[in-house]
Amino acid sequence: MSELLEVKNLSVSFFTPEGEVQAVRDVSFSLRAGEVLAVVGESGCGKSVLCKSIMKLLPPAARIKSGSIAVNGADITAYRERDMRKLRGRLFSMVFQDPMTSLDPTMTIGAQIAEAVRVHRPEISKPELHTCVVELMALVGIERPEERMKLYPHNFSGGMRQRSVMAAALAGSPSILFADEPTTALDVTIQAQILDLLRDIQQKLGTATVFVTHDLGVVARVADRVAVMYAGKIVETGTAEEIFYDPRHPYTWGLLRALPALSRGRETLYTIPGMPPTLLDPPRGDAFACRNEYALAIDYEEEPPMFRVTDTHYAATWLLDERAPKITPPVGGGTDA
Amino acid sequence: MTSRLVYCGKKVLLFFLSVFLLSAVTFYVSRLAPGDPLVSYYGDRVEKMTPAEREWAEEKLGLSDPISVQYVRWLGNALRGDFGISYKYKMDVAEVIGSRAGNTLLLGGVGFVLIFVGSLLLGALCAWFEDRPLDRIICKIGTVSSCIPEFWLSLVLILIFSVTLRWLPSSGAYSTGGSSGVMDRIVHLILPMSVVVLSHLWYYAYLIRNRVLEEVRADYVLLAKSKGLSRRSVLFRHCLRNAIPAYLSLMAISVPHVLGGTYIVEAVFSYPGLGTLSYESARYQDYNLLMLLCVLSGAVVILCSIIAQAVNERIDPRMRSGESIEAPEVTDL
Repeated sequence: MSELLEVKNLSVSFFTPEGEVQAVRDVSFSLRAGEVLAVVGESGCGKSVLCKSIMKLLPPAARIKSGSIAVNGADITAYRERDMRKLRGRLFSMVFQDPMTSLDPTMTIGAQIAEAVRVHRPEISKPELHTCVVELMALVGIERPEERMKLYPHNFSGGMRQRSVMAAALAGSPSILFADEPTTALDVTIQAQILDLLRDIQQKLGTATVFVTHDLGVVARVADRVAVMYAGKIVETGTAEEIFYDPRHPYTWGLLRALPALSRGRETLYTIPGMPPTLLDPPRGDAFACRNEYALAIDYEEEPPMFRVTDTHYAATWLLDERAPKITPPVGGGTDA
Repeated sequence: MTSRLVYCGKKVLLFFLSVFLLSAVTFYVSRLAPGDPLVSYYGDRVEKMTPAEREWAEEKLGLSDPISVQYVRWLGNALRGDFGISYKYKMDVAEVIGSRAGNTLLLGGVGFVLIFVGSLLLGALCAWFEDRPLDRIICKIGTVSSCIPEFWLSLVLILIFSVTLRWLPSSGAYSTGGSSGVMDRIVHLILPMSVVVLSHLWYYAYLIRNRVLEEVRADYVLLAKSKGLSRRSVLFRHCLRNAIPAYLSLMAISVPHVLGGTYIVEAVFSYPGLGTLSYESARYQDYNLLMLLCVLSGAVVILCSIIAQAVNERIDPRMRSGESIEAPEVTDL
């Protein structure tokens, strides 16, 4: 299988008056056509910045410091706004966290979807455009699209808006869809519907999806592969089975143990102690060390490299070094429920 | 159709109610303010009047009754179109105002349109070149220019263009005794108009710039960009459109602001308009003239706010509160 998206050693920093905030640090990953990759991590670990930096939608204060982004083998790292515009919508598109604010309140839903269609097909005729919009709205599960395309975002509920956002994002039939916590702002029943829809669309259209979330429960539902991010770095990556049944990084253990579903029957819910480090001045060694009950002395000195577990499964923890003490993971393997 | 009729009816009712309240408040406040209205009618003779003569004069002008009685009488007359006479000019107040209104409307109206269009263009230009040299230079010049007081700017312009260069007239609305042709009016308008426009332009242009830049940072811009839209269509089709409702309502409410500006300018340029008239009527307790001027300018302000609201409702559908029946809330099915 060919790599559709290949990110190598990407570092993104925000240059603020307080100093340089290293939001994404030396991240590498790849995405194959038609695959769903979930990027998991707590708030502020750089998940959204990673997606936005690939689409070059970052605010002016942020800059890609090093690394490369290649799409279909073509390096787009140095692309300017003009070139990026041609890729956006057609090659990759994005669904955002809050559907309440990601639609223009002064334009009808239909017009906003139509706009996305017309960007890539300027020659399209009016009736064709109309059918196209209706089809897109039907695709994302909006019933009675003919009458609803004339409505404004404020007439729609959160779930309907997120569906509309997806219709607009899919208008240029992109090969990659970045879904930046698309269900976080929705209530639980709607979350499930939107997740099903995402998976449906991914299977119907074969759109490769990068699914950003802080909810591991959601990941199990949609993802083929998982990348766990911590403090701007990917600390563990593997197939969904490997991450859920054979996690290797202590941070992944912590995330899994903190899942309510896996701590059923126990009195308290496990939490990872402490706070994530500030990315203004990341600590030496492993950024997770000070919150890690399994931390080794070397964790405070030197950053762990990516250790290979299987061909698809890598984790950045010194525990995988052959000299490290053997530890029975508190989750995964035998303990999976 | 009926809903539209009800909508308009409500607005009209709101308008008349507001004007009524305004007139009542102005009437009371102006009469409670210190000062002697007889001075403006009789001039210096007031000082030599006996108490009996004073009483007779107050009786004649209808000033001896309680304020509420005076107000009801005034209101009754006003509803029949009779706003009384001006104490100072000894003429029907409508006539006094009528002879000057045209001049102010010309100065204020054209100035207002120029400010409106100019600031929209300037603001959009600055937003387009955000934080680049052009934007920074315009911002700096603008900030300085908006801090210059109108009267000072007027004097400096008079000094440069009338006194030194002798290009433009320094006062009046037309040449005395000369032809009152269109060119003559325009030449007289250039300086006061420049002051009116220059002193307000940046205030609104800066507002538009910042509103647009605020919109540029909104989430929907990210979606618009990720759809592949160009910077131009994002800025003009989405951001400017979203910035305009706030701008329009502000412009409508700013009518008195700009009008107030023209009043000062009128005074400096001895321009025969409503500004000088309002000032005089308040100063000399010319009650009837003051009332009509207040009610008229109040009516203009209220009318502008209502129009602004109506325009906003057309542009931003969320403000169309009464029409929720036509666009029902849609929930997930």
